[in-house]
Amino acid sequence: MQTESIVPELRSFIRDKFKIPEGDQDFNDDVHLFDYGYVDSFGAVELTSFIEKRFGVKISDNDLIAHPLNTVREISEFTAKRLKGEV
Amino acid sequence: MAKITVPLGGVDKDYLSQLEYALAFASEDITSYRINEQDALVEADLKSEAASQSAKEKISELIQRYQRREFGLPKVIHFQQERELPAFDAWKALLERKWVTPVGQGHVVLRGVAALLLSLIERKVEAEFVKTFKAELEIFPSTIKCETLDRCNHFTSFPEHMDFVAHLKQDVDVLSQFSEECKQNGWSPARHEGRMAECDFAVAPSCCYHCYEAMEGWELQDPRCITATLACHRFEGANHRTLSRLRAFTMREVVFIGHPAYVIKSRAKAEELIIQWAKDWELACIFETANDMFFTKDYSVKASFQRQQQGKKELRLLVPQEEQSISVFSSNFHAVTFGKAFNIKFGDRPATTGCVAWGLERWVYAILSQFGLDSNKWPNKLREEFTRHAAGLPL
Repeated sequence: MQTESIVPELRSFIRDKFKIPEGDQDFNDDVHLFDYGYVDSFGAVELTSFIEKRFGVKISDNDLIAHPLNTVREISEFTAKRLKGEV
Repeated sequence: MAKITVPLGGVDKDYLSQLEYALAFASEDITSYRINEQDALVEADLKSEAASQSAKEKISELIQRYQRREFGLPKVIHFQQERELPAFDAWKALLERKWVTPVGQGHVVLRGVAALLLSLIERKVEAEFVKTFKAELEIFPSTIKCETLDRCNHFTSFPEHMDFVAHLKQDVDVLSQFSEECKQNGWSPARHEGRMAECDFAVAPSCCYHCYEAMEGWELQDPRCITATLACHRFEGANHRTLSRLRAFTMREVVFIGHPAYVIKSRAKAEELIIQWAKDWELACIFETANDMFFTKDYSVKASFQRQQQGKKELRLLVPQEEQSISVFSSNFHAVTFGKAFNIKFGDRPATTGCVAWGLERWVYAILSQFGLDSNKWPNKLREEFTRHAAGLPL
């Protein structure tokens, strides 16, 4: 699975789950989801759980320390690389 | 008196001090406790044998909270300054000089150099932070609505340290009986039984909550920076000690409200300023990633996320006598938590907030512990600024 196909699915999940309006000017694939307040600590638990269920990728606490996983693109890239066994 | 032991298993060494703090609130049946690192045990003394099982379960529950780490528990040191300092019992010396007088559990009166030093810290905040950020002064009441604290999710994070406020019932009989009993036999807690009205306020546990509730429904076009000083309360149980953990203490804050980029940039600037301050005064310190001591079952989600996101950083000053450091300053990022809670808008989105905070009595205690009570022997810049401050001159 490529990053490009994960991005829209992840973006859509985040939009729906965290009720981000279509017209939100700041929301994009490179925005810091946590600094901008789209996702909080409990949301982050839901987000990692979604990635595990949908893509079969478990994000460990060590992954969070070793990789920047703050934007839709960063999380998608990580997921794609993990699926390929590159990280 | 009964004794119990509970295995520690799996609690990171760096978090034992947080567990130790939390154990003070485990059970009122526990009369004393200690962490035995060597044998990886919590040892506790109880009021009675009958409480053994229940106390063990409560201690185990707290231990479990510190074993989990959903987002990891990264430790990042942003700045560190070391210096050789002799152990000096500042608390004992302050009591002897009567520059500190305890007036109840975690309550103190400061005088002399201790009081002057505390006011210097405030003055330096004004000279360097308030001026830089053009912060507007606000004056807050010392108590805060419980409803406000509820909306800030304070009770779901820190229920243990609340000091609630209540008054006697508005009833002539109640007031007369209370007054008469105090006149006859003096006050005692028993006089309150059945006579208190429902509690709707608490002593503010933090300074900035008032700032957000007072901006409810505002739609900001420009970012705002607010500053305030507030006498705050946090009940710390068995953790109360010296000026390090007071129940009644003074907090100074500078609060940033606006777009995330503004808050992030301002916070970074404030962190630069505090590091420069630590360098100027030659303080033995560490500025590092931290987490709030959430006292709820979801501790690990909140604490590890906060650390992972660098949501809290603390300047900790060494107290040589105690061979530990105390947090004297924190830099906090709240994202849109308070913007959402109080419907404060910046443009079309909930406002982002962040704040930096000083615990003033802790500054005094750490500085006097590091350099002693004689201001003539303090590091140059600290001594010069203190002298100018004491003389009423600009810093």
